Amino acid sequence: MIDRLSGQLERYLDLLSARQKLVASNIANADTPGYHTQDIDFQSEFRNAATGTPNVLEVAGLAMKNDGNNVSLDRESRLLAENALRFNAATGLLRSQISSVRAAIKEGQGS
Amino acid sequence: MSLFSALSVGASGMAAQRARAELLVENMANAETTRTPEGGPYRRKDVVFESGSVESPFSPVFQSQLDAPVGVTVSDVITDASEPERRYMPGHPDADKDGYVAFPKMNPAEDMVDLMGSARTYEANVAAIGAVKDMIQRSIDLLH
Repeated sequence: MIDRLSGQLERYLDLLSARQKLVASNIANADTPGYHTQDIDFQSEFRNAATGTPNVLEVAGLAMKNDGNNVSLDRESRLLAENALRFNAATGLLRSQISSVRAAIKEGQGS
Repeated sequence: MSLFSALSVGASGMAAQRARAELLVENMANAETTRTPEGGPYRRKDVVFESGSVESPFSPVFQSQLDAPVGVTVSDVITDASEPERRYMPGHPDADKDGYVAFPKMNPAEDMVDLMGSARTYEANVAAIGAVKDMIQRSIDLLH
């Protein structure tokens, strides 16, 4: 961890990858009878500073199919794209943080 | 290791849908088959999916039981046990004494729709793997 912001970004990336893993599970189980959509409560997990494995919840309010499966491929593909974009944004920010630290090191060597 | 296990989950979904598509194609290919090694007409087959943890090459070392990823596996292949369809074809070599031939009970529309569903779910899994792969690549790019 370089500073507080990088720590927050790291937590953000961790949570995004945990969520992406659940999205991948949901898509893989789109045709599994009795499977229920799983997700994490992103906002409260992010505010909760304690790092660790996030709580996995079952998503309420989705239409249940006849075989007891409630995976909505539309919801999952939206989340898939959203997580990937957020991840790109966060890695971009972390990159600029790292490059400014690197610049500071380089300038120190130059003199 | 979280993102790498998401790749295994996507792969398990692809493998399961591929197994389902293979059986659906087999069903359609054998829609008119009247002879099988077990005797009698061909019987329609279908898969049963079950969610379960997926294997990873590093699972015992790197993965704790707590965050074992939930993938999908083919738990069973079921064979349709319903009565075959009987068609009156007296000249057919497999006709019984009344001139009826037992044909597989098949609904091509049902199999075709299932096959399309299987192909779409396969695509969704490919998209999931692509997105996860992109995220991993972005993380690696942080080092450059």
